[in-house]
Amino acid sequence: MTPPQRQRRSPGQEPYAASSAAGPPSKDDGTPNPERLFVIGGEGGGERADIDLVTLIVARADPPVSATPEQAALLRLCAAPLSAAELSAYLGLPFSVVTVLLTDLLATELVQARAPVVRQKVADRNLLEAVMHGLQKL
Amino acid sequence: MVSVDSPPGRRELPYARTLLLPAILMAAATGAAVALVTEPARLAVGLCGAVATLLVITAAAEAVRRGRALRVLRAEHARHSAYLERRAASHHEEMVRLGGEVLPNVLDFMRRGSTPHEVMRRLGEIDPSYTELGEPQRKMIRMVCDIVDHQDSMRESAERSFVDIARRVQAIVHQQNKELREMEEDHGRNPEVFDDLLRIDHGTALIGRLADSISVIGGGRPGRQWPKPVALYSVLRGAMSRILEYRRINLASIAKVNIKGTAVEQVIHAAAELLDNATRYSPPGSKVHVTATEVQSGVCIEIEDAGVSLSEESRARIEGLLEHAKRGTDVQDLAHHPRLGLSVVGRLCTQYGMDVSLRASAYGGVRAILIVPSKMMTTEPGVGLAHGIGAASIPQPGPDALPGPKRTPKKRRPTSPRIPDTVSLEDDVPEVTEWTAGGLPQRRSRVKMPLSQRLAEQAVWEREDAEREARQAAERARNGFPAEPEPEPVKDEGLPPGHFIGAFWEGLKQHTGSTQAHQQSSSNEPAHAPADDEGNLK
Repeated sequence: MTPPQRQRRSPGQEPYAASSAAGPPSKDDGTPNPERLFVIGGEGGGERADIDLVTLIVARADPPVSATPEQAALLRLCAAPLSAAELSAYLGLPFSVVTVLLTDLLATELVQARAPVVRQKVADRNLLEAVMHGLQKL
Repeated sequence: MVSVDSPPGRRELPYARTLLLPAILMAAATGAAVALVTEPARLAVGLCGAVATLLVITAAAEAVRRGRALRVLRAEHARHSAYLERRAASHHEEMVRLGGEVLPNVLDFMRRGSTPHEVMRRLGEIDPSYTELGEPQRKMIRMVCDIVDHQDSMRESAERSFVDIARRVQAIVHQQNKELREMEEDHGRNPEVFDDLLRIDHGTALIGRLADSISVIGGGRPGRQWPKPVALYSVLRGAMSRILEYRRINLASIAKVNIKGTAVEQVIHAAAELLDNATRYSPPGSKVHVTATEVQSGVCIEIEDAGVSLSEESRARIEGLLEHAKRGTDVQDLAHHPRLGLSVVGRLCTQYGMDVSLRASAYGGVRAILIVPSKMMTTEPGVGLAHGIGAASIPQPGPDALPGPKRTPKKRRPTSPRIPDTVSLEDDVPEVTEWTAGGLPQRRSRVKMPLSQRLAEQAVWEREDAEREARQAAERARNGFPAEPEPEPVKDEGLPPGHFIGAFWEGLKQHTGSTQAHQQSSSNEPAHAPADDEGNLK
């Protein structure tokens, strides 16, 4: 009696490639730790601050003694500003768990969140023209 | 009754004497009658008298003989009934001995691992006197042994079927856990779905604990094996994740030791049952404090709740329950013990050499102390302290580790669907060569293509590349550009900030018509902007 197996919904990966390549390794790396995510993040009722994937997080203090390992690691990682998505990737935790952790840390004012600095990929043409005209007038 | 035997010997003599009196009387009566009657009747009367005397003597003799026979028979009967009474008394004694001494000894001998047949053969080894038991008793012992053996095997098979069912549930729960973890990763960016998944995850963990309990009580092992040592902190959080009210658990100052992979599950299960007890029998708002310190014999995990204080008698009762469980619990016993958890803990402690005790707590509640022996601990490095935290994610975990520019590349496969397809995270991602009708990229692995075909296609591409470059060079020459090779295609959006200004100045130097240069560059842009499509689109 084997329960029905779930097909992993992994975007950007072909079905057969996922089944052949990701099959064996996922068996042993599966869950190396006995704890479940709801113990870390808090289930359901936990409030979530308005944190985006690209919100930059920076630590304001050293991890206190009472911090959980995840919070301590998060604070160490955030010594330099990091986006919430990066934190999620480094910690190996789903984004929703990271937001709950960050909400706790924000509430205790251990970290600071700031909107991402928008960098334009291509310089504005009007700006360039204005600069050019200005330079030509020199 | 005792004197019954002697009279016949004594009565032997008075035999003639007894007969004498009726004989004399009859003779006297006959003589008197002969004397009284007239002469001619004398002869007849005398004859009749003699006959009557003889008859009386005969009758008397017969009566005496019968009396004697009766007496003998009566004595015989008394002797016989006495014998029977003795027999009955000895039977009773024998039965008492059989029930009170022989059968318990025999059953005890059988419980130590012998079949009924063996028991009957080695009856003399239990006690030499048992060999003298009669055949009926032996038969009875044999029958009792058979019945007990049958019952034992029936109970064993019932337990085994319990364990078997529990195993299946465990397997399903394990699979479910794995898949839930995957789903949590896949839907990690959708808080609503994620929270629902967590709730299902929690429910599944509770089911898993119940299955583990049944398995342990049935004599099996709890749950799965962990491949690597696990830190005690993670073990305790694993225990937390299997109880209903895990939010009330407060982990403080947990010793930094690792538990062997083979022993992780037992510790988790025992701790989970104790935590469940602590949260269940304390006020809903109160916290349960857990600490773990290293002691001489291992690690001592203390679980303190602020519940109802344990009175001396209830403590004795619970300790008795634990003792009982340590000796071994039957599945049948569980109906009488509502505290299933303590039975499980007791059982686990006996099987794996842990020790548990209950004391009154300083908070007013109960303090449960679980001692994990040092043979369950290891000095080998385990998996990270928490999920993926540790060697896997931070190069040098420590307070001074500043993760700046030297970040390790992300190993985990991206689970978010919003990463655009054009961004390749790995070098050998299969390239997009076809597009489906719906506009989605159709990818084919290169390996699927035979080598010769690949080489041929590559040759075609290279030729086309060369032709196009020649064409572009010619065009550029026509437009007045120097026929130099095309600049490197833009690889990434991360260009240096001054790049455009530099290009702009270069354009200014080469061309006087500035607007034309701009248009030229913007019309040239799409030809080489997406690096991926270069030459691969057919």
